[in-house]
Amino acid sequence: MDVGRHPKIRLLAYSEVEGVEGEMGNFRIRVRKKARYVDENKCTGCGSCAEKCPTVVCDAYNVGLAKRKAIYKYFAQGIPSVYTIDAAHCRNFETGKKCGLCSRICQAGAIDYQQEDRIVELDVGAIILATGYELFDARKVPEYGYGRLPNVVTSLEFERFLSASGPTGGHVYKPSDLAVSEVLATLEKQMRTSSREIERFEKTFEMSSERFIEKFNSGELTGGHYDEWAGQYRSFLPLKEKFKRTKERAESLKTAHRLAFIQCVGSRDSRFNGHCSAFCCMHSIKEAVIAREHDPESEVHIFGMDIRAVGKNFEEYRNRAEGEAGIKFIRSRVAEVTENDSHNPVIWYEDTKARQVRSMEVDMAILAVACEPGPSARRLSELLGVPLNEFGFYATLTVPPLDTFRPGVFACGCAHGPMDIPESVAQASSAAARAASALMGARSKEQGAGSGEQDAESRKQVAGSEDHGAKAKKREAGKGE
Amino acid sequence: MNRDVLVIGGGIAGMQASLDLAEMGFTVHLVERLPTIGGKMAQLDKTFPTNDCAL
Ligand SMILES: Cc1cc2nc3c(=O)[nH]c(=O)nc-3n(C[C@H](O)[C@H](O)[C@H](O)COP(=O)(O)OP(=O)(O)OC[C@H]3O[C@@H](n4cnc5c(N)ncnc54)[C@H](O)[C@@H]3O)c2cc1C
Ligand code: SF4
Ligand code: SF4
Repeated sequence: MDVGRHPKIRLLAYSEVEGVEGEMGNFRIRVRKKARYVDENKCTGCGSCAEKCPTVVCDAYNVGLAKRKAIYKYFAQGIPSVYTIDAAHCRNFETGKKCGLCSRICQAGAIDYQQEDRIVELDVGAIILATGYELFDARKVPEYGYGRLPNVVTSLEFERFLSASGPTGGHVYKPSDLAVSEVLATLEKQMRTSSREIERFEKTFEMSSERFIEKFNSGELTGGHYDEWAGQYRSFLPLKEKFKRTKERAESLKTAHRLAFIQCVGSRDSRFNGHCSAFCCMHSIKEAVIAREHDPESEVHIFGMDIRAVGKNFEEYRNRAEGEAGIKFIRSRVAEVTENDSHNPVIWYEDTKARQVRSMEVDMAILAVACEPGPSARRLSELLGVPLNEFGFYATLTVPPLDTFRPGVFACGCAHGPMDIPESVAQASSAAARAASALMGARSKEQGAGSGEQDAESRKQVAGSEDHGAKAKKREAGKGE
Repeated sequence: MNRDVLVIGGGIAGMQASLDLAEMGFTVHLVERLPTIGGKMAQLDKTFPTNDCAL
C-alpha cells in the first residue's frame, strides 16, 4: 500500500488525538506526536542501532513470543520505516544509567534522547474513525486454562507460529517445548561460571578435579580451599547432567501434530460478549488448513457450536477444508481444557451429535478469541461526543450506516463492529465517500445550495443516540458490581 | 470551510479510507497510535478466503 508515499496523505504515526473542537467543516484537532527519540527525517531504517542495543524486551508484534531490542521497528516492513526508542525499557531513560550506544553507532545522527512530545494542530472538515479492535483476554475464561497451561494459545499467537517470518520460522512447536531452549541457555551460563571456578582450582593445585575428589574423599586433602573446591565440583556434576538431558530434549523438539481449535471464546457467551465476532470461524479454518499444509500428518479438529462461513466463497472454503484438507469439525461447546503429565491439553466437550461427553488429548489448543472494542474507543467517544453502542463499538445511524451521531464523523472497519478484511475495506471506501460528499455538500450549502437536511432528519429519527450511550455506560457500571 | 480529512487509526480500514480520499483529491491526515501503520492485518500470516499473504 502506498499510504506512506502518497503526496496527499500526511502520516502521523506514534501519535494520538487529544483534543477536538468545532463542528463539521471546521474541526480543530490537537494531536500529540509522541517522542520516538529518533529523528524521522534522518533515520534511514538501517537497523545498526538495534543490533548493538544491549536491552532485550518482549516483542508485542509477535505477541510476546519473541524478543526485540529497546530501540526497535514494530515490524520489518513497517511504515514509516524508522526506528523508535522504547523509553520504558531503554537504559538511558529507565535506570538513568549512561548507555548511549545507539547514538554512537548511528551514522545518520538520528538519535535524539532530548526529543520531546510535540503537539500538532490540524484543521479538518471531516473525521473517520478506523480505530479497529482489541482481542478478548482469554484469561477471563479460567476453564480453558490460557495463561496457566503452556500449550493453550490464542488465534493471533498461532498466526505468528505459522508465519515464516515469525518467532518459530513457521514451525508449530509446542510452547512447553520452546521453553526448553530458555532453560538450556540459563543452564549453560551457570555451567560456564562454575567450570571457570573449577579450572582456577585445577591450575592453582596442578591437579585434575577427578583426581582431587578421590583424594578429598579418602581424607588425604582437607581444609580451606580444598573444601571450597570439593563443594564447587559436587554442585557442578548434577548441573552437567541436567544440561546434557535438557540439550537432548531441545534437539529432539517435535512439532505439534494434534491441534484443537476452540471457537467462540468470549463471543456468543452471555458472561462476556453477546455478539458473534464474525471473523473467527473463518480464521480458524484458515489456520487449520495452513497447519495441515505445513504438516500433512497432523490431526486437526475444530470445536464449535456452528460454523459461520458468511461471505462470497466462504462456504466453499469451509467445504474444501473438510473435504480436501481433512479438517474435522465437531459440533460442540468445549466445557473445559485440562492438562496431562506431558503438558498436553485435554479437551473436554459434549459431542452434541452423539449426545456424549468426551475428551480428546491434543498437542496444542488454539482459542478463537473474541473481537472487542479497542481500549481507546471510550476515550475517543467522549472526546468526539460520539456515543458507543451496547457492545462498546461506535454507534452509527441505521441509514446511512457509517455516519455516527455527530455530523461530519464517520466510522468504518472493526471500530464499527466485528468484520473481516474484505468488509472492512468496503466500509472504508464507503466512509471515504460519505466524508467526501459531506464536505462537498457543506461547500455547496455555503454557496447557498442547501443539502444534508436528509441526514439531520435521519439523525432525529434514530435519536437513540443518548440512549445507546447510556446503555453502554450502564453495562460498564454493571460489570464493576 | 475546511476540506481536509482526519482519519484516526492506520489499520486496513484507515489505510483504505485515506487512499480513497487522497485519490479524490482531499488532503488526509492519518493518525496512528503505534510506531507503524498496518493494524492487526500486519500480524497475519495469510488471509482467507484466498490465502494470499497479508502484506
Ligand atoms: C487471528 C486473526 C486472524 C485473522 N485472519 C483474517 C483473514 O485471514 N482474513 C480476513 O479477512 N480477516 C482476518 N482477521 C480479521 C482482521 O484482522 C480484521 O478484519 C481487520 O484487521 C480489521 O481492520 P481495521 O483496520 O478495522 O482494524 P485494526 O486492524 O485493528 O486497525 C486499527 C488501527 O488503529 C490503530 N488505533 C487504535 N486506536 C487508536 C487511536 N486511539 N488513535 C490512533 N490509532 C489507533 C491501531 O493501532 C491499528 O493500527 C483475522 C483476525 C484475527 C484475530
Ligand atoms: S536510528 Fe540510526 S542506526 Fe538506527 S536505524 Fe535509524 S539511521 Fe540506522
Ligand atoms: S465467527 Fe464463529 S467462532 Fe467467531 S464468534 Fe462467530 S460463531 Fe463464534
